[in-house]
Amino acid sequence: MRLGGTMPSLRGYVPLIPPVTILMMFFALPMGMMIGLSFQDGDTGSFSLTSYERFFTDDLALDGFFRTIVMSGLVAVCVTVMSYPIAYFLARSTSRWRAVVFALAIAPELAGVVLRTYGWLIILEDQGFVNDLVIQLGLIDRPLPLSHNMFGVVVGLTHVLLPFGILSLLTNIQGIDPNLEKSAQILGASRLSVLRHIILPLSVPGIVSSLLIAFTLAASAYATPALLGGIKFSVLATMIYQQVLFYINWPYAAVMANVLLVIVLAIAFTGARLESRLNSKLHVR
Amino acid sequence: MRFARYALSAAALGVGINGTTAVAQELIVNSYGGPYEEIIYERIIKPFQEQSGIKVIYDAVGSSSQDYAKIKATKGSPGFDVVVMTASQSLDGCKDGILEKLTVENVPNLAFLDPDVSAMASECGAVHEVQYMSLLYRTDHIKQAPDSWEFLFSEELDDKIVLPTFENIMAVYLMEVFSTMNGGSLLEIDPGFEKMVELAPRAIAFEQSSAVLDKYVREGQAWAMPYWSGRAQLMKDDGVPVDYIIPKEGTIPLLATLNVPIGAQNKEAALEFVNFFLEKTSQEAWMDGYKVGSIRSDVEVSDEIRAKQITSKEDIQKLLLPDPSTIAERLPQWGDKWQREVIPAAK
Repeated sequence: MRLGGTMPSLRGYVPLIPPVTILMMFFALPMGMMIGLSFQDGDTGSFSLTSYERFFTDDLALDGFFRTIVMSGLVAVCVTVMSYPIAYFLARSTSRWRAVVFALAIAPELAGVVLRTYGWLIILEDQGFVNDLVIQLGLIDRPLPLSHNMFGVVVGLTHVLLPFGILSLLTNIQGIDPNLEKSAQILGASRLSVLRHIILPLSVPGIVSSLLIAFTLAASAYATPALLGGIKFSVLATMIYQQVLFYINWPYAAVMANVLLVIVLAIAFTGARLESRLNSKLHVR
Repeated sequence: MRFARYALSAAALGVGINGTTAVAQELIVNSYGGPYEEIIYERIIKPFQEQSGIKVIYDAVGSSSQDYAKIKATKGSPGFDVVVMTASQSLDGCKDGILEKLTVENVPNLAFLDPDVSAMASECGAVHEVQYMSLLYRTDHIKQAPDSWEFLFSEELDDKIVLPTFENIMAVYLMEVFSTMNGGSLLEIDPGFEKMVELAPRAIAFEQSSAVLDKYVREGQAWAMPYWSGRAQLMKDDGVPVDYIIPKEGTIPLLATLNVPIGAQNKEAALEFVNFFLEKTSQEAWMDGYKVGSIRSDVEVSDEIRAKQITSKEDIQKLLLPDPSTIAERLPQWGDKWQREVIPAAK
C-alpha cells in the first residue's frame, strides 16, 4: 500500500529529470567549480583563503563592491519609477496608440547592449549631442559631466533595463480588477486618490519584482559600466573582467564573482519573501 | 564472380580512402578583425592556401587576452589551431604548458629570426611582427616636430593628449620609458609612476582599446599620444595629418607572436602556417601590407618602410628591451599602484 501510494508521486518527478540534469551540468557544476576556485591559491592550486582576505581588506575592492550596490540601487529605482506610468498606460488604455507604445517600450531589447551604450556615449560625452546643444544655446561654457561617471552609467543601464521593469509591472497591473478603480471613482474618489489608495498598494508586488529584476541585472552588467563609466568607475563586473583577462588571477576573480552572487541572491531572497508576504496580505483582504 | 565483387568493393574502398585524403585539410587561424583581417588574408592566407592546398578558416573573435583566457580555460584546446598574441602571453602559455613548443625542427624559419628578441617570446611564440611605441602627433596643430617624450608634458598639449589605461600594455611601457628618463630603470618604475601622475590630469581621456585611442586623434580631440607604429602608419596612410617618431630617449617594442595551442587539432598544418608566415617573402609582404617591422634581418623592403619601421639588427639594438617575465610578475603590484596613484590624478 505504502509503495503504491508513493509511486505516483515519484512518477510526477520524472519530467523534471531533463531540466534538472541540464541545470546541474550547465549551472550548478560551473558554479560549484567557481566557488572551489575561489578557495585556491593562484600559484600552487592548494587550499587558501588569501583571495578572500585580500578582497575584504582591500579598500579598492570594497569601493567597487559598494559602488556596485549604489549603482544597482539607483538603476532599480529609476527603472521602476519610469516603467510605472508606461505599464499603467499599457494595462488600462484602449487607445490605438497602445500597440505603438508597447513596441517602443520593448524596442531597446532589439538592439544589442553595446550598440545602445555607444549611442548614449555619443549623446552624453563632452563633445556629444547634449553638451554641444546647450553650449551652442549659450546656457553653459564648459561641457556638463554627463558621461564617464555614475550619472552616465545609471542613464545607460536604466535604458537597457526599462523593458524588464515595464513587463513585470504590466503583468501585475493587468491583474488588478478595473472595477475596483471604477467603484472608487463612483464613490467620489479623485483619480489621484484612486492611484494612491488602490492602484499603488495593489501593485506593490509588481514594484518589488521590478526593483528586484533591475537590481540583479544592473549588478552583473559589464558593457555599460565599462563603456560609460570611464577610468574611475570600477564595479564588481569590470573588476572581474580585469582579473580574468588581464591579471589572469582567476581565484581572485572567483571571489569577486561569489560576492556578486551573494549580493544578488540575498536581494532576490529578500525581495521574493517580501513579494509573497504582500501577495498573501492582499489576498486576505 | 564473388572475387570480382570483392575486388570492386576493395577498389571502391581504396578510392574512398584516397578521396578522404584528397579532401582539403582545414586550419583555423584566430587573430584580429577589421583592416587587419583584410590585410592578413590578402598578404598571407591567400598565398598560403595556394601553396599548401590547406583551407584556412579565419576566426576574428576575441582580443589576444580573451584568446589566451580561452586557451587557459580549455587547457590548450580552444578550437583554433594558430593564434596571434603578444610575447608576454606566449611566455605565460609556455610556463603553463598550454602552448606547443616551436623549434627549428618543426618551424625551420625560426633560424632566421633575431635570437635575442625571439627569446623574449619564449620557445612557444614565433615573433612574426614587431611594432614599437611611437610618439604620434597631429601635424596640422604641432608645427615643430617633437623629438622627446617630454613633449607630452608641454603646456600646448594640456587637454590635448589621450593615454592608454593600465590594461593596454602601452601604459606600462610608457612608465618604463619615463622611468629610464628620470633615474629609474625598465623594471624599477617608481619614477615612471611619478611622471604618469603628473601627466594624468592633462589627458582628455584614458582608453583601453587602441582602436578607440585612434578615434581621438583622427577626430582632432587629441593632438598627441603614444601609439603603436604600425597603426600610426595606417592612420597616416589614411590621410590623417599625423606623423610619428621614436623619441631620442628610445622606445619599447610590441612583439606579436604566432602560437599553436598544445591541443590544436590540425597541428601539422598549424606549424606549416607558422613557418610560411616567417618566410622571407611572407615577412616582406606583411611588412609592406600592415606597415610593421620584422626581426628577420634579411628582409628587403622599401626605403620608406626601412626609415619608419624596425627592419635591421641596428634598429633592434636601439630598442629598450624589458624582461617580459619580470613585467608579468610585477604587473599586479603595478596595477594596484596605478589604481591608487594614477587614477585619482586623472580628470
